[in-house]
Amino acid sequence: MDALNDHDLEKLNDKDKAELRSFLNNESQKARVQSTVHSLTDMCFTKCITGNIKQGKLDKTEEGCMANCAERFLDISGLTMKHLQNLRQG
Amino acid sequence: MDSESVKAEVIKQVQTQYAMNNARELIEKINEHCFQKCVPKPGSSLSSGEQACFTQCMEKYMSAWNQVSTTYITRLRREGGQ
Repeated sequence: MDALNDHDLEKLNDKDKAELRSFLNNESQKARVQSTVHSLTDMCFTKCITGNIKQGKLDKTEEGCMANCAERFLDISGLTMKHLQNLRQG
Repeated sequence: MDSESVKAEVIKQVQTQYAMNNARELIEKINEHCFQKCVPKPGSSLSSGEQACFTQCMEKYMSAWNQVSTTYITRLRREGGQ
C-alpha cells in the first residue's frame, strides 16, 4: 500500500474533499455503532450464555436473551439521560 | 497521483483500518470469554475437548454478536436513527 503524504493530500480538489468528508462522517458513525455492538455483546454474552457450551449455534432461549439484554440496556441508558436531565432542571 | 486516486487511497486505508479494528476487538472478546468458559483449569496442553468447546464457543459468540447487531440496528431505525 502506498503511503500518502501531505503533499498528496494537497492534490485533492474541492469535490473530492467534500466526498471524503462525508465518507469519513459516515465511517465514524458506523464505528460508533460497531463499538456499541461490541460492548453490548460482551456484557450480554456473560449474562445469557451461562451453561456449558454444547453447540455452536445460539438456542432459542439464548437468542431471545441476547435481544432482550441489548434492548433493556439501551432502555436503561436512555433512563439515565432522562434522570440527569430532570436533576438539572429540578 | 491525481485527486481521484488520492481519494481512492484514503478510502481504502480507512476501510482497511476499520475492518482491522473490528476484527481485533472481536478476537479479543472471543479469547476472553471462551478461554474463561472452555479452559476452567489450564493443563499442560489443550485437550481435544477444550478445543472442541472453543470452536463452538467462537461460533456462538459470533452468532451472539450478529443477534445484538440486528437488534441494535433495528432499534436505531425505529427511533429514527438518532
